[in-house]
Parts: sequence; C-alpha cells; structure tokens
Amino acid sequence: MNLFSEQIEHSLPQTGEATGALEILRCARCGRDLVAEVVLAGDAACPYCGNLFRQPAYRRIEAIVDSGSFIEIERETETGDPLSFPGYRTKLEKERVKSKMQEGVVIGKATIKGQRTALAVMDSYFMMGSMGTVVGEKIVILAEFALHNRLPLVIFCASGGARMQEGVLSLMQMSRTTIALARHSAAGLLHLNVLTHPTTGGVTASFAMQGDITLAEPGALIGFAGPRVIEQTMRDKLPEGFQTAEYLYEHGFIDRIIERRDMRETLAAILALHNAGHTETAGQGARR
Amino acid sequence: MQTVLVANRGEIAVRIIRSCKKLGLKTIAVYSENDEKGLHVRLADESVCIGPRPADKSYLNIDAILAAAKAYRADLLHPGVGFLSENDAFAEACAEAGIRFIGPQPASMRVLGDKEAARKTMIANGFPVVPGSDGIVESVKEAVQAAKCIGYPLMIKAAKGGGGKGIRIVEDACALEREFPLVRREAELAFGDGSVYLEAYLPEARHIEVQILADMHGNVLHLGTRECTLQRKNQKLIEEAPAANVPASTLAAIEHTAVEIARAVDYQNAGTVEFLLTKDGRFFFMEMNARIQVEHPITESIFGLDLIKAQIQVALGHHLLISQENLIPRGHAIECRINAESPAENFRPSPGVIKSMQLPGGNGIRIDSGYASGDEISPYYDSMVLKLIAYADDREEAIRLSSAALHELSITGIEHNAELAYAMLSDADFRSGTVHTKWIEQSFLPRFLRGRT
Repeated sequence: MNLFSEQIEHSLPQTGEATGALEILRCARCGRDLVAEVVLAGDAACPYCGNLFRQPAYRRIEAIVDSGSFIEIERETETGDPLSFPGYRTKLEKERVKSKMQEGVVIGKATIKGQRTALAVMDSYFMMGSMGTVVGEKIVILAEFALHNRLPLVIFCASGGARMQEGVLSLMQMSRTTIALARHSAAGLLHLNVLTHPTTGGVTASFAMQGDITLAEPGALIGFAGPRVIEQTMRDKLPEGFQTAEYLYEHGFIDRIIERRDMRETLAAILALHNAGHTETAGQGARR
Repeated sequence: MQTVLVANRGEIAVRIIRSCKKLGLKTIAVYSENDEKGLHVRLADESVCIGPRPADKSYLNIDAILAAAKAYRADLLHPGVGFLSENDAFAEACAEAGIRFIGPQPASMRVLGDKEAARKTMIANGFPVVPGSDGIVESVKEAVQAAKCIGYPLMIKAAKGGGGKGIRIVEDACALEREFPLVRREAELAFGDGSVYLEAYLPEARHIEVQILADMHGNVLHLGTRECTLQRKNQKLIEEAPAANVPASTLAAIEHTAVEIARAVDYQNAGTVEFLLTKDGRFFFMEMNARIQVEHPITESIFGLDLIKAQIQVALGHHLLISQENLIPRGHAIECRINAESPAENFRPSPGVIKSMQLPGGNGIRIDSGYASGDEISPYYDSMVLKLIAYADDREEAIRLSSAALHELSITGIEHNAELAYAMLSDADFRSGTVHTKWIEQSFLPRFLRGRT
C-alpha cells in the first residue's frame, strides 16, 4: 500500500569512490583496519585489542577535563619562517588544514574533577608534535601563566623532537622551556608530565623529563634518539622493549604507567593532594 | 544516493537493512567487537566497529556512532528499538551533525520519555490516565480524601519501590486507614524513603496499543490496534493485531484517543500509544513509545505495508497522502517472540551458538531474525532469537497457522520458548480472550510447569 504522495528517490550504486576514500588506521598490534574518524572520536583505542592510537589534542582535553571548563590561551599564535626554509610555509599550511590545529601544542587552563590546573597538550598529528619557536613560546607562556596564577601544571608530551625547519632556533626552545619551568618549580608548584606515544628528541631532552611527577601511557615510545639511529651508531642489537614506557618504568625514569581510561581519575587525585597542601599559599598568591 | 546508518544490532537492524535494500538505499551497519560476524554486518553495504562488547561502550556510545555516520557520510540514521532509540540528546546530536534522525522530534521524545511529565501532559489535555493521587500522599486523612476520587480497590505504592515490591492492595476506606501507616513504615525500612502514593488497582486489565504514523506536515494516522496482553514481567511474548474480543465502539474510541494524544505532543514519524483496558471497558493511557516497536510486523501484515519504509519517508519530509477512511485492515496477524531462555528454569537466559535452525515458511508465515545457523546468541544483549509472524483471514486461522509453524520450528544448540508459545496458543483462556497482563504468571505458568513434570 502506498501511503505517501512522493516516491523515495534512488540512483544506481555508483561505480568508483564518489564520496572519497575513508582514512583507515591499521592497528599495529592486531592488524585490523579501523576507520580513523570513528576510532579517534572515542578514546583512540583499538576496540579489538585495546592498543592505543595517538590521540588528537582537543579530543584528549575533552576526555580529561571537566566538560566546558577548558579555556584556551594563545590559540592564534602563528609560526613564522625564521630561516626562510624551502617549502616550510606550504608544509605548515597543509598541516593546519589536515590537523585542524594552529600549532603542535594547545595550552590553557581547566579544572579536572574540580581541581584547577594549567594544561598543555601536544598533538602529534601536527608535524609530529615537533617543537619549534611557537611550541617553545607557548610552553614558556603557560609556565609563566601558571606561576603568576599559582596553578599546578600538567603537560601531555608527544613529540618527534625539535622542528628541523627552524634549525638552531628550535634547539633554543629546550633551554627556554627548561628555565621557565624551573622558575615555576622554584615557587613550590607542581609540574606533572604525561608522556604519550611518541615522546622523543629535544622534548625528552628538556621539559618532558623535568616534571615532579612523570606518568606515561602504556606502550609509549620514549627516548632521545630513535632505536634505529642508536643501533646504527653502536652497531649492536638493542634489548627487547627498549625505549617503551614499560622499560623506562622498570629502570626508574617513570613514576607510574596509567591506562588512558584511568588518566582523568589519576590526575584529579594527584592534583587534589597537591592543591590541598597549597590552598594557603595559593590564597597568598592571589592577595599579592 | 541516500545512505542510511543503522544504529542497532540483531533482528531490528536486519529488518531495517532489508527495507533499505528494497528501496535502493545504501546501508551502513555499526557493530560492537562481539558482533563482528553478525548477520546485520554481513547484509549491510558497509560496516564499522564502534567499540567493545558492553552496550554503553558501543551501541550506546553517541560519539562513536555519530563519528561513524559522519565518516561514511550517512544522510539518515535509523535508531531501531532499545539502545538510543528514545534518547532525545542523541536525536538532537544527529540534527546538529546534519543527519536526519528517523524518529520523532527531540522535544516530543523528552515529554514522552519522562513518565511524570507525560502523565501531567495527558491530564492537562484531558486524556484518561490511570486514576491516582496527585503525587505523594502525606497523611491518612489526605489518603482517604484522595481515595474518594480514585475509587476502590486501589494500590498504595512506595515512591521508591519497584518490581512489585512496596505495593499493597486495599479494598475499602477501612483497610486504607489500617494499611496506610504500615506501608509507609515498610517503605521507610525497605527503601529508606517513606513516600507513598495511591493508584487505582485495575485487576485483569488488558494491554492494547495503537500504531500511530504522523508526517512532518501535521497529518496523523492510526494503523489500528495491537493486543500485547500476553506478557511476563512486562516482557511481551505473543502479540496480535487487531485486538480481538473488544467491542468495536471501544476500539474506535481508543484509536481516536491515540491520534489526539499524538497531536497533543506534536508527534512525528511512527510511534505507539499504549493503553490499559479494564474488564468494565474503561481504558487508560500508560505511555507512548517514541519509536518503532518490536511487534510492528503484525500491523504491517493486516495493512499490507512497510512501516520502516514509511518511517524513512516521513524523515525525508514526504506527505501522507492516504486518508484514515481508506486505511482498512484485513485479516488477523499473530506474532510469537522466540527467545533463548528456559521457561522450565525460571526463564534463565540460554546464550550459546545456534547449531541448526529449521524455519517454517509458506503462505502467511514471516520470520524476522537477526541470526542464522552458526551464529551466537550473546549474553551481552537481549535474548530474542526470532519473531514468528502468522497472517491469515481470521483469528482462528491465524492461531492454527502459528501453532503449525511453531511445530515446524526447530532450533538446536540453545534452549528456547517455542513450546511455551505453542501451549499458550492452545490454551482455552487465550482462545476465548479472557486473558490479562498477569495471566501468564498467575494462571498459565503454574499449569504449564505442572504439565511438563
């Protein structure tokens, strides 16, 4: 029986991909193909084996902080091209469109289960989270912001290292961030790092190893030079699991490995402990 | 080409995908880790995993489903039954994402989803609801006063109670005065809250519901009645359409009221208004389900139409052309739900792999199932294996056709309730229409279990 005055329009199935191919992520552990958009909208873990994918910065913030509490600062800061490095400007443009990010780190303040904190989240989807002048500058700004407001500081690290296209200016950021964070620390404030996959190069050699507490996600690659570089230099085989979060935990570089789904609870608990001891000093800071 | 994402699993997902295929629409199935090889995944054009087994991580995961819909550029989304089908926040999120949600507007869902708000709306519009006190009753005096309007017998119910606990039936004012303080005290002890309210006790009531179909342009039609009186613990087991052994004038009044209710909440798309029908012919609004129902095929049978197709057309903004007078049902349809459970062992679920499944067929028989031989009934989700729908010229024939089909049905590997359904269809009470919503538990089951041992 036909109930309606109109007919459903339909056409024959089109041959070829008219809608454009979907971006497929292959799980490195179980080898299954997953739709990138679906996986990254959730907690970026493989639904089959629990293997973690790199998580985009804004999605991570959404999962960690209290809903609506995140206030981003310095969003529009843009990278220049200090060395006029060939092709750098076009690459930046492409990366911005692809990752929908302005730069490799997002900074701001937020509450985690009611605990106020300054927060920086690096995004490995923007030029592998490499640290150039802007990333360095934003970490410095956040450290100073946290110092001024007497806030604890949580940094999610994810980086391939210094940004090669900015040469020595990138390497300069290592000392700048280290000094800014040392001042924050000298004021008796908490600096907490979460090392995510991958944390390498200049970031590992500077602020990623500088925290009062260093947490890591399971299976994250953490190191300075990559395993292949070391193998070729030393002409030797590396031990199994070298540079994984678990290996570093066994050798005392990391305080605790935290599952992604437990991260919010853990951070909230640590911040609550810290803030409870600092309500008095925080009050003085505000009066000053 | 329009693409439909089916945000469900099992039988209803398969049902929706089949209609979409018929209409030339592309289908996207979503599945949890558990259902990777499910029938709905095998039938759909594309499929995408949305998370692990527990429903709250997959089929109830709004973010993952919307991401899947966007990733595959779905134009429409059908929520099926259960899971997110009556979640107004989900419908709203779909609209924001530019995906047409095949169902009512979020505002209607919000009103109907909240029992108290729905009841208030119905009272405000003058529709009959089960008589009861206006909220919590504080004192014996207040209770006696309220009881005058409600009438006896009535139930004293604990506000925090549930599952049949904290309910007392009283026959007159004397008993009410005696029992009221006792129930309050019991509620205080059992639920930590002594609040109670009064509600009319309707013994031996029947469950009659009306299928509604409304387009976006203010046209509202009803597609007749269904009787779903045969239920155990509010779980429907056998449904029939149209409702039998009810005077034509009563049915007409129920249908008319259902349409008015749908208009009052600005209802769009397919929905069902459920009523309680008492022995003395009064009927009361229970709730309106803002979605397609499991038992929709029996209505499809007697009207000869496809309700899933109609839902899609409403969502596309099509106009209802046909008038109520021209919608004439024909014949009688019965649906038996076959579940993986063991009636002899207090309906213990019986998950497992279906080793083989021999299905009946032929003229008038329709099987809707989300499984095939070799598939597994998972303990994580509902236990329905299939729906057996029989359609014939009249009720007697439909009962005989159903019975014969149940006899033909053979499923191995799991336990199921086909024998129970067969016994119910053969029961004299069912045949003469003297059943009520507690009939299975109070009258039929004891007899059935005794007969088996």
